[in-house]
Formats: sequence, C-alpha cells, structure tokens
Amino acid sequence: MSQYVIVNNLVKKYGDLCAVDNLSISVNQGEIFGLLGPNGAGKSTTLSVLTTLSDFDKGEITIGAHNIRKDKMKIKQLIGMVPQDIAVYEHLTALENVKFFAALYGMRGNKLNASAKEALEFVGLSDRQNMKPKQMSGGMKRRLNIACGIAHAPKLIIMDEPTVGVDAQSREHILNSIKLLRDRGATVIYTSHYMQEVEEICDRIAIIDHGRLVACGTKAELVSLITDAQSVYIETKIPAAFDLDEYKKKQKLMPGVKAVAIEENTIRIDVSIDQNNITRLIEQFLSLNLPIINIKTEVPNLDTMFLTLTGHELR
Amino acid sequence: MFQITIKETKEFLRDRINLFFFIMFPVVLVFLLGSLLKSMDKAEEAVGEIKLHYLVTTENPVNIMTIEGFIQSIGDNQNLIFEQTENLEASKQLAGNNEITAVIEFTGNPFSINIYEGSNQIANRTVAAIMNGFKQSNKSISAVMKTLPETLQDIDQTERSEFILQKDLGVNRTMMDYYAVAMLAMISFMSALVGAGAFVGERQNKTINRLIAAPKNRISLFLQKVFGMIPQVIIQLSVLMLISVFVFKAHYAATLLVNLYLFFMFFMVTLCMISVGAVIGIFIKVNPSAVIMPVLWIMMFLGGTYSKEMYIKGLTDKMPSFQIQQAAFDLAIFERFDKANTVIITCIIIMSIALAIGAFLFSRKEEER
Repeated sequence: MSQYVIVNNLVKKYGDLCAVDNLSISVNQGEIFGLLGPNGAGKSTTLSVLTTLSDFDKGEITIGAHNIRKDKMKIKQLIGMVPQDIAVYEHLTALENVKFFAALYGMRGNKLNASAKEALEFVGLSDRQNMKPKQMSGGMKRRLNIACGIAHAPKLIIMDEPTVGVDAQSREHILNSIKLLRDRGATVIYTSHYMQEVEEICDRIAIIDHGRLVACGTKAELVSLITDAQSVYIETKIPAAFDLDEYKKKQKLMPGVKAVAIEENTIRIDVSIDQNNITRLIEQFLSLNLPIINIKTEVPNLDTMFLTLTGHELR
Repeated sequence: MFQITIKETKEFLRDRINLFFFIMFPVVLVFLLGSLLKSMDKAEEAVGEIKLHYLVTTENPVNIMTIEGFIQSIGDNQNLIFEQTENLEASKQLAGNNEITAVIEFTGNPFSINIYEGSNQIANRTVAAIMNGFKQSNKSISAVMKTLPETLQDIDQTERSEFILQKDLGVNRTMMDYYAVAMLAMISFMSALVGAGAFVGERQNKTINRLIAAPKNRISLFLQKVFGMIPQVIIQLSVLMLISVFVFKAHYAATLLVNLYLFFMFFMVTLCMISVGAVIGIFIKVNPSAVIMPVLWIMMFLGGTYSKEMYIKGLTDKMPSFQIQQAAFDLAIFERFDKANTVIITCIIIMSIALAIGAFLFSRKEEER
C-alpha cells in the first residue's frame, strides 16, 4: 500500500506556542486514518495545514506525490474537506450548496449537476435536495456538510469530527458512508472524540498530544503498547471450604496466565492476548465442580489506551 | 465568477433583512419623507444681489412717473440695483453673460414690460415677482408683461449652477424628488454593510474555510466575491428609481441619457462602498452593522440626506453624502456632468485602493476557527 500523505517533522507555531512540534505521520492510500488527541493536542492545526488553510513553519508535506509548498493548487484539487462546523449557506438549498462548492473545484454543467445529486444521494439527502439547511435537522445538516466536501470526488477526504451532535441513525449512516468512500478508493483522515467510532472505522490511528506523535498503528498495535493481556471474568458461587490460594497457584501455572484475583464470587484471570487459552481455563474451572453463573472477557479498549497514553488530567 | 455571482445574488434576494433594508426601507422613506416634509418645499435660497438694467421707451408721462416712482421705492433695497440703460442690445448682452440679472424694457402704446432674463433661474423668479408686484400696485396703468428668454440661448451652460445648492430643487421640483435622490445616496452608502457582511457572514458560518481551501487564487476569489454583488447593486438602485418615478411620480433628470448617467454614478458609489465594506469585513469580527451603521448615519445626517434643512457651514459640505447629493442634483436638475464625473473618478480611485488592500489581506488569510 503506497503512502498518500507524508508529513515529515511538521512544526507550526502561533507566536510562542508550538501547536505542532516535529510531527511525522504517513497515511496510506485507501485507508481511513484516525487522528486522536485531547483538546489542544494539535489535531485541528495539523488538519488545517493539510487542507492548506494554514501555513506552517518547518517540515515537509507531500500529498499524492505533490509537495504542499510547490504544488498547492494541485493539492487543493485533491482534497475534500468536511469541517467540524457545519459550513453551508443557509439561504441556498441543499442542491445549490453542493453544486456551489463542487463548482469551486472546476466542475461545470451536467457533470456538476450529476455529481451534486450523487453526493446528496450518497449521504441520504436526495429527497431533500430542495430543502434549505435551516429547515433541516442536525443530522441532515451534518450529512449535507459531508456532501459539500465530497461532491467533487476528492482523492483525500479530511473529516474533522463529522458526527458531532447527531443521532444514532445519522451517525451510523455517516460511518457507513465513510467506509464506502474508502472502499471506492478515497483516502480518509478522520478525527473524532468518539473512541468507539474510531475503533469501528479506522484502519490505523495516530495519537498526538502537545503537538507530538505519541503513538501510531492499528488498534491492536496501540493496545499492545499499554498491555498484552486480556481479562477473563468468571462469576460463580464459591463454597466456604474452597481453597482459594491453591486455586490461584494452579491457575498461575497455566501458560499465558499473568494474574489471578478473586473478589467475592467473581474470579478475574488476566491472560496473554497472544495465548488464546480461554477454553482450557474454562475446562479447568469446570473440573472444580463450581457453577458458572456468568462469564465475560475484556480487552483494553481505545479509551483505556488513550487515557493511559495521554493522561487523565483535564485539558 | 458566474457561480459566485449567482450565489451572492440568491443569498441577497432570499435574505428578508437585506430585502427590507436595501429595497423596502429606502422606498418607504422616499414616500414618507417626501410626503410628510413637502411643506418644506419652498424657494428660500440666498438669491444674492440682483442687478437690473431698465430702458423706458414709453412717452406717456403718467407711465414714466409710475415707473420712476416704483424704482425709487424699491431701489433702497441693498440687494436690488436698478440702472437705466440707453442701449438695449448692450444690456441684453450683459444679461446673457450673467453680468447683470436682466434687462427690463418699458415700452409704450400699448404699455408693456419686456424682461430679458439672464440664466440665474432663482434670480429670474425674483425679478418676475418684483414686476408682478409693480403691475398689482399700479392698477391705474395697463401693462402687458412678458418674459423673453432669448438671452438664455447663448449662455455658457456651466454658469447656470452658480446658485444651485442642495436646498434648491429648481423649478417645479418637490420634496419627493429630493428624497428620491437622497435615498439613492443612502442605499449607496449603506452598501458598505453588504460588502462587510459578505465576508463577516462567510466567516461566521465558517464557509470561508471551504472557499479558501478550494483550488482558486485568493485574490481572484476576493474580487469575484466583490464583483459578484453587481447584480444586487443594479437591483436595489433600479427598484428605488423605478418606484420613485412610476409610483411616487418623482423626477430625476429630464432625459433618459442623463438618468442613465445618474444611475451609473450611484452604481459606482455603491460598488466603491461595497469594496470599502469588504475590507472592513475582513478585519472586523463583530456584527458589521454595529461598527459601520453609526458612522454612516452620522455622516448622512450631517450631509443632509434626511433633511435638506440640515446644513452646518464648514461641516455639511465636507460630508461625502453631501458632495454626492450635490453632484446628483447638479446632474438631474441642470444636466451638469462635472461634479458627477468627479464623484465617479473619486470612487474608482477609492475602490481600486480598497480592492488592492482587501485582496492582499484575503490572500494572507488563515483558517477561521
């Protein structure tokens, strides 16, 4: 998979504040790349530089084999921007909005009309094309915001929290649309504060904080940075005569088991993700003739990983 | 360019606030002010000195005594000078050159009064009133009085506006005519709000980020946005002029050509104000009305836009609104183009500077957050 976006040692300062500090990331062609970070981490600044809305102090950026300083207009032509704020004209209809923004990218005539209608259909607004944004719900506006950014068929789509404040149905529609865009060959850079969304749609994720790259990789790769274990919780009914210490000792001898803890009637066993030996754990437990009331496994999620890497303090 | 022009025009026409402020409001003001203040439509100009030559050719002693008695009785007035002449043609030439106001010839058998006027219409009206007074106060004599405008034919047109100030609407003009012009000036100046709003609006709803992210030259984008407002300028000026003329029966100029030139002058003023507003719109982050409106209203108030009675010597005549109204009255009433040309050239210069500054600022603009 070739690299479509390459950012090398990007530095962007606002006066004395260094918003982006030697950031280096690369985005593969045809992937959904998540950009995560707490408030003020430098995500929006990075996106702003990538969309050519802001200049930068140092570093090098290549998009689609074009250098951003030398071929700014060519790069602009490749990019579709879906900003966090709903950026549409209130007095124009949905179709007029989409057509206007697509026309800025050189589309004209029948092609413009067809592309605008296709974009509206893509986001599920084809039957609302003559509706003005002020008559639309929040979810519809969000989808219109996306349509305005994709109608000119960009190769790189940069989405800054496109699902803020929408209902579950609209969110699902938007996320499916983004995956469909990826499947059609577009490269997507995606930011969100909803970790579940990022886990669901992003092929790779970069976490930045204080303008620097903290971690980058697939979800599994990121989780492995903080732990290589998953927890198995077995809820049972432990008799008073049961020898807990003996049980713990036996469990720890099993391959992959890292820790065992018992709290009232729940036993937690931390096992290595690499060693898929949950079946053997259960078989051994059943041999004790203890009932299993409930059983569940827990893998550290992106939320846990994010908080571990970026800290718990308020920003 | 075409897409941005269509977008700007649609936005203008679909925004009720714009429609009210830039189309309805000026039309209503023309009607209200023109109707309510029509009692102020009086000739109250400073006429200045009136110098008259008179020639008595009647031999009737009663008429001669009456004429001399009349001239002596009103000759004490410092501003009214009667001088007897022996050479009618020479005096007519002086009137034609505006060196004197008029020549009055009293002829006999039948007794008649011929007035050979100069070009100062205000003064001419005064002379006519004086001689009417003479006729009314001397019932014992029977006189035929007629005005002979032949001396007007050869005079230099540029001399004719000497007495024309904003307060004088000329003959057969009404307050409706005054406000039809004054409101054109008002919407032209208020267009600064449209220019500023076009950029502040883009920034407030964040569409400016989409615009500057598009593969368009920023300078070209800025100019397209400003010139994209041309249709709305044409619409707002046309609506006001057409309604003023066809509904309120107001008068601008007598000929279509001069009316078109008047339209063009206000078009240039409006475009100039939009350009200035656009620069302000790039700068300011607050509602443009809060910044621009007070300045415009004070300037227009002091410049006599809302009342022809507003005149503060040394201040009013320095107001751009006063100067533009003067140029418009000059053009509409006397078909004089020089002040209008000055206004147009000044607007082109200011607009060029504003557009250069605006384009420079816009080309350096970063993302709006």
